[in-house]
Amino acid sequence: MKLKKEFVTHQNDNEHVTVAAGNTEFTGMLLSNETAGFIIEHLKSETTEDKIVDQMFEEYEAPREVIAADVHRIIEKLRSVGAIEE
Amino acid sequence: MAFFIKTAGQAFRIEPNHDNIRRYCEGYICEPCDDFCDVSVTPEEIEAERQGAIDAAVAEHRSTEFSKGQLEILTVHRKIAEFMPGVGVFLFHGSAVAVDGEAYIFTAKSGTGKSTHSALWRRKFGGRAVMVNDDKPFIMIKDGKAYACGSPWNGKHRSGSNVILPIKSVCLLCRGDTNEIYKINSRDALPTLFEQTYRPSSPDKLARTLGLLHGLTDSVGLYRLFCNMSPEAADVSYEAMKEGL
Repeated sequence: MKLKKEFVTHQNDNEHVTVAAGNTEFTGMLLSNETAGFIIEHLKSETTEDKIVDQMFEEYEAPREVIAADVHRIIEKLRSVGAIEE
Repeated sequence: MAFFIKTAGQAFRIEPNHDNIRRYCEGYICEPCDDFCDVSVTPEEIEAERQGAIDAAVAEHRSTEFSKGQLEILTVHRKIAEFMPGVGVFLFHGSAVAVDGEAYIFTAKSGTGKSTHSALWRRKFGGRAVMVNDDKPFIMIKDGKAYACGSPWNGKHRSGSNVILPIKSVCLLCRGDTNEIYKINSRDALPTLFEQTYRPSSPDKLARTLGLLHGLTDSVGLYRLFCNMSPEAADVSYEAMKEGL
């Protein structure tokens, strides 16, 4: 899976934002914290949910099942706004 | 015959199809120069603008009749707005008024009372106030600072000036029974600011626009104002934003 190319992001010190270009149905803005931003950035190249969980487990000190639940929730959120190419 | 205009520090060449646009751009016409972007439009592009113009007019309860000359003015504006993020500028929907050389921008959906509020400021400050652009200022981000820029596209009252002034604060305006103002952070402000920002069609230019929006939120005061239409509303908003409270 991958983030659709119409979805673009920007990160500054305070937040990570994601919006959609062109005639995409989603016209809002996703404001993400650091971990959600991490997930979105990793979705910019072809990947899987499991791979992202692995990468996050390396980066953050948290139980694997907590990370897996977070990753799943955020990917579902992205899916619901049409941001994911399966 | 082709002519040149300058807005937000950038020169544009326009080869008009109809008479209206040259008159519309009066006050921004400049000498021909080498470093310009050509924003001439074709009759087909002008016609393609019609449906969008009608949709916007319906949403704002305005007349849905557009001459080709009026549509050309809108089409050229869109072309300029598409180009601008590449040079560090984006198009924003709001009323920009300056006091003592510093610009304040009020933003909200059409019909909320942006122009009404900036008119209160002009009444309060008289000659100290300069209308930068009553409807669609260009915002330029340069060396970490944000500037409000006048342009010919300045709203139905045609209110604005050919100036580029540093932005002190941006204020999200809501109607209220009483006048209250709050400082907000970029997280609170960004969704509304993005709603009122021109979205280029290309992902690359949109990504640049996002970066510029962050440039704005990083460098100016951000506020939410609840206000009525009494002169006191201008006292409340100015006092807080001037002092950075």
